[in-house]
Amino acid sequence: MKALELNNVRFKYRDFQNWALDSVSLEVEKGEFVTILGCNGSGKSTLCLLTNGLIPHAIQGNLQGSVSVFGNNVGEQPVSQSATKVGIVFQEPESQLFCMSVEEEVAFGPENLAVPREEIKTRVEWALELVGMKGYNNRSPFSLSGGQKQRVAIAAALSMRPEMLVLDEPAYALDPVGRLGLYSVLRDLKEKHGMTVILAERDAEEALAFSDRFVLMKDGKLLESGPPRQVLRDPAKLREIGVAPPQVTEVASLLNTRMGTSKFSFLTVEEAERAILEEVLKPKKEGRR
Amino acid sequence: MIPSAHGIPREEKIISTRNLKFTYEGGVQALQGLNLDIRSGDYVAIVGGNGSGKTTLAKALNGLLKPTSGTVMVNGMPTSELKVAEIAKVVGYAFQNPDHQLFCSSVEDEVRFGPLNLGYPEQEVRQKVERAIEAMNLGQLRALAPLSLRLGERRRVSIASVIAMDPQVLILDEPTTGLDAGESLELMNSLKRLNAEGKTIILITHDMKVVAEHARRVIVMANGRMILDSDSRGVFSDLAILGESNLEPPPVVRLAHRLAKHGIPHDVMSVEELVFQLLRSRGGG
Amino acid sequence: MGGFIDLYTEADTFLHRMDPRVKIVAVLLLSLLAFILSHLYLLLALLTFIFLLLFLARATISRTAFALKFVLRFMVLIIILWPIFDPTGTPVLASLGPIKITEPAVWRGVTSAARVGCLATVWYILMFTTSQRDLVRALVKMGVRFDFGLTLAISLRFLPTFGALIDSIKDAQRARGLELSKGGLLKRSKNYVAVLVPTIVSALRTADTLSLALQSRAYGARADRTYLRDLNMRPSDYVALAVLAAILVLPAFAKFVMQVDI
Repeated sequence: MKALELNNVRFKYRDFQNWALDSVSLEVEKGEFVTILGCNGSGKSTLCLLTNGLIPHAIQGNLQGSVSVFGNNVGEQPVSQSATKVGIVFQEPESQLFCMSVEEEVAFGPENLAVPREEIKTRVEWALELVGMKGYNNRSPFSLSGGQKQRVAIAAALSMRPEMLVLDEPAYALDPVGRLGLYSVLRDLKEKHGMTVILAERDAEEALAFSDRFVLMKDGKLLESGPPRQVLRDPAKLREIGVAPPQVTEVASLLNTRMGTSKFSFLTVEEAERAILEEVLKPKKEGRR
Repeated sequence: MIPSAHGIPREEKIISTRNLKFTYEGGVQALQGLNLDIRSGDYVAIVGGNGSGKTTLAKALNGLLKPTSGTVMVNGMPTSELKVAEIAKVVGYAFQNPDHQLFCSSVEDEVRFGPLNLGYPEQEVRQKVERAIEAMNLGQLRALAPLSLRLGERRRVSIASVIAMDPQVLILDEPTTGLDAGESLELMNSLKRLNAEGKTIILITHDMKVVAEHARRVIVMANGRMILDSDSRGVFSDLAILGESNLEPPPVVRLAHRLAKHGIPHDVMSVEELVFQLLRSRGGG
Repeated sequence: MGGFIDLYTEADTFLHRMDPRVKIVAVLLLSLLAFILSHLYLLLALLTFIFLLLFLARATISRTAFALKFVLRFMVLIIILWPIFDPTGTPVLASLGPIKITEPAVWRGVTSAARVGCLATVWYILMFTTSQRDLVRALVKMGVRFDFGLTLAISLRFLPTFGALIDSIKDAQRARGLELSKGGLLKRSKNYVAVLVPTIVSALRTADTLSLALQSRAYGARADRTYLRDLNMRPSDYVALAVLAAILVLPAFAKFVMQVDI
């Protein structure tokens, strides 16, 4: 059974002319970490809203094709039921937290699902610890930094024990410290908890190191899908769809061009350092000897 | 104590602060004694993590906040004796969230709002509005409702509405937040043109990639103090300074620093520079 | 931020520990008592009692003073205005044209001011010692529908957010040369459009996301919703309730059954 299965999905928002999603088919395996990359207006937010049935239940429009999550067609069940399978985190930290304390925020989902009190307590502590917000139980979400708010939003989704987490540009308005904290939580989710994650991003830089797969989108269409090394290899292709290529891949590509080779392909600074020492700078030392 | 922008010839100072301190009502000391000169034609980035004081500084520069002690002089006049509307003729401020500014039914009306408030005669208002619309490339959108536009376009409208007041200095708070690479590039190119035409630009940001590509001078803030004021190359040669201000150097800068002991200069700022240096080191062997 | 909106201060006093439902009942009972009592001395005694409770709630002088500023102004106003509009009774202390100031009217003014003082300050006991979440929880427990309670909670939660939003919008428009307090009434109300429209638009955008967030967290999934924190009446809460009942019932009995003038 696939974690997510989009079968030839088209969606047009009410009162809009263009298809926000156009003939998109996508399969995500359980435990996979998939980053969807595209510029503003490419359709990645729409795709996120489809995963737990907010489209078509809360947002109206013309929907064709089918979306199923762990075998259930989300178009045919209420959002509150899909929510037990799919947790979702939005861009704006300020407008998705609505309780007067962090603890209530994280407890809200399981409370709605009538989870017994003792179990909620355990889940709240578990989720807060996972996102590095242990001990913030009684703080008001309003008093937290942007990065902390987003981590609380993740905890509030995790406390429903979903099988998949969907994040729509969660680092949208965060400063570097906030981003760092957020991405380290996402890395933990993948590496320690094997969570199925779908992450929508405008920028590949941070998700590069721990995404299993990148999906490129443009104008509502799915252009390419594959491992990071393959999809991000060509910076020109990314620029064409309005996405800033990761700097290290630009270094690799420029080295390939200038040295007339195609052997360079790196995803992280560490990898780039190793390869450059090995292949670019080392021959020089040998030459001297 | 603060490394200064050495070697830059003395130009006309538009803004200068002396021992500028600002304390918020709750007692938070956001600015702790800043001495800073902004000269005509500068392209300055004020950088720092959240809580470093950079936004407070920006608001002090256009008089939205008056110094608790010390002075901010705008064209030789202390802001404490000027109204915000008077300072707006010299120092424009585009807020981070365009939705905090936009309220008119057409882009053109929105852009007219500022110069009308400042009481310019109709003829002059029209000229300034046209120039602003052109500078932000909004000709196609002028009749549309600002709220119906996309974020990148709304941001350009809000910036045009500030440019239309024809200030000598333009302060922009995180102008690239939420924009994708294409929108970001278009906006930054417009700013570059404005700067080339003589407009002084002050960017408030924590995006060091934008700083590396566009700013000529960088002021690093941490805990309400300026910990560095130098040309932008100087900032990237000292990662400790960025760390102190909770900023993340761009990957290419991090890579250059890791390769420093192999002869790569530590002030590399762009992909092209790094590759150039790599091939030079290789060729030099 | 939000000092005006949320008066609650964390502390560990018997009033903080008291079940919020008991506190709500207490405040209602003490308010009723203020209506029953008609003697100035008894009202002043009640006012003293309320201040004693505020003191025991560890309300700091500055917070109390802040809270009392409005009440005190109102009380002074009553004391001044009452005798002017109430010419009944003798002796007449002073008269100026049609206005007669009589001694009983002066006392009635002071008595009314004391009653208003009681009615206003008694609520501070609740607000100082009860967090918003406990207050909402208590209301839901007392029979208010969960969605109403949630709506109230969300409103309270977003008050400081919108306060900050309006401040930012005002600043943004001032930076465009807008002078909010300049011009006549018409000009000034037009000025406020520039603040109002962005505020409403931002609020609507927030509300949109908020509704998506609520649904995504299984809001309304089941009727038998559970609660992480529950309110439990402890023995001390019952004692407090009994004492309060006595405080109200005794004077009421005296006044309405025994016909004692109090």
